[in-house]
Amino acid sequence: MDEQTTLYIGSTSFIAILIILNSGSFGDFWLIAVALSMAVILVIFLINYADYVLFPIFTIVTGIKISPARNYYIPRTANAVVKYTNGLYYATGYLSANVYNYVFSAESIDTSEDAKLGEAPDKWERIVMNANFPFRFNFVSVTEDVQTYREELEGIRGTYEFRLAKEEQAATPSELTMEDLRRKMSVVDARLSRLGAGERPVNSIMYIESTAVGVSEKEAMDALNNQLNNLRTLFGLFDLSINRIIGREVYHLFSFNYSLPEQETLTTIFSTQR
Amino acid sequence: MSQRFLFALMLIASCTFLLFIYILPPNPLQKFIFAILCLLFDLIAFSTKLYMDFLVPMLKMRGRTIVVDDEEAFVLAPSGEAITVRKGGDIFASAFVKIPSYRSGTEMTPEEKVEFAKLFGRALTITNRPVRFGAQLYVINKDKYIGNIRDKLNEVEERYQRATMNKDISKGEAERIRGEVTMWHNLLDNVNKVKSHALDAFAMITEQGNTEEEAVTLVTQQANELVAGLSSIFGIAANVVVGEDILRYIEPDYMIPVVTETEQLRGKIAEEGV
Repeated sequence: MDEQTTLYIGSTSFIAILIILNSGSFGDFWLIAVALSMAVILVIFLINYADYVLFPIFTIVTGIKISPARNYYIPRTANAVVKYTNGLYYATGYLSANVYNYVFSAESIDTSEDAKLGEAPDKWERIVMNANFPFRFNFVSVTEDVQTYREELEGIRGTYEFRLAKEEQAATPSELTMEDLRRKMSVVDARLSRLGAGERPVNSIMYIESTAVGVSEKEAMDALNNQLNNLRTLFGLFDLSINRIIGREVYHLFSFNYSLPEQETLTTIFSTQR
Repeated sequence: MSQRFLFALMLIASCTFLLFIYILPPNPLQKFIFAILCLLFDLIAFSTKLYMDFLVPMLKMRGRTIVVDDEEAFVLAPSGEAITVRKGGDIFASAFVKIPSYRSGTEMTPEEKVEFAKLFGRALTITNRPVRFGAQLYVINKDKYIGNIRDKLNEVEERYQRATMNKDISKGEAERIRGEVTMWHNLLDNVNKVKSHALDAFAMITEQGNTEEEAVTLVTQQANELVAGLSSIFGIAANVVVGEDILRYIEPDYMIPVVTETEQLRGKIAEEGV
């Protein structure tokens, strides 16, 4: 959890807790006050950790549409952006495409990674050949400042070193904990050496979008659902975690077509995908 | 209004109601009402973290539609080299760079494939600004082609009608014109049968400025840097996309051109009718 989230959750939950503590002064309403406060705390956590569930529920129940720009609207299912023009409906939907990091465990590039890279162009061409409909694969990247990232890694390494030394000096040192800390340190070391070799750290967001057209909203949405399901199958060739994007993030991805935000905003918007 | 400012404002409002609960004389109903208000502002304060873009428009809701923006999604800059978006007092300009590649995985050796895939890693670190790299499969625009065929068809049909009414024209000549009508009809029907696709790779970059001119100038500079970097890395002739071609990367009705699609739909309906 980043600092901002901690501050937001901490301060707002604290206010709700203060009301619970003072519930005695509400007389006969004390139970309702406690229940409401607990509900607020629950909703705060739901917004933070599962807003992709909460947001569509809210729009479906209230029947609210969102219009992000002229001629465009996000229907109440909050899973697509629809454009109505020239008597046709264009529905655009999104899939997240997060890559599993091949080098997380050892953080060293082995030969199998090269083999996977070598297969990538062929796999991509196979996807393009089999997709008989328009789609777009997007990769938003932001390079981090090398010095800041190095300092951050060195700080993390220092923490692990301190914890390892403390564990070693303990009366009954846990071999399991020490092994885990050593493994984490080797990961950080490998990252530091990759930085030393000239690699630059990159933050990235990947997503796939597809557009379907129809003479009615339903026809366009049905065609879109089919296309997105096809894309999920086709991109299964890569080791990607593919999920349909619904809710608030649909609006943000729509706005990415016209302007990209700063790195700070990018990481806030997609903090759960980081 | 910034997100942090709104959060602070809502939190202050919530704390004020909380203070009332603690300092007011013991009137349970009054305190309970303040507790509800306190929790409401508390929840709104937290919601600003993720739903800032929707909160203010929600207050100005029209029926059941939250209008985030009722202007066009973007404006094409007069130079045609970028699009601009206005968000509050800020102006953002985005430029697009086309990345043409004429190499296929089928004509590469395994080593070349690995090298080619690794080039993307280098391309990501050309600039420290956020960049969106994309590859899109889109429907080839046959609108003009279809328009020309229709014009020809109309012209020949009219000629055929005149020929059938004119007794001076020989039977052979009338038959020839009828053959021409059939030819144009067949051509139009064949266009409907197949949807042709093309693949494009592109990069998009955004810059912020105080005025539209400033933002466009800044983003054009950045786009030219991207062009130079991408051209040298991939050994291709990347170029800044200018004019109407930009729309293909952002507008769904340019990704799936209207006339081409309508003809396709017409063909489908006719086929189903038969």
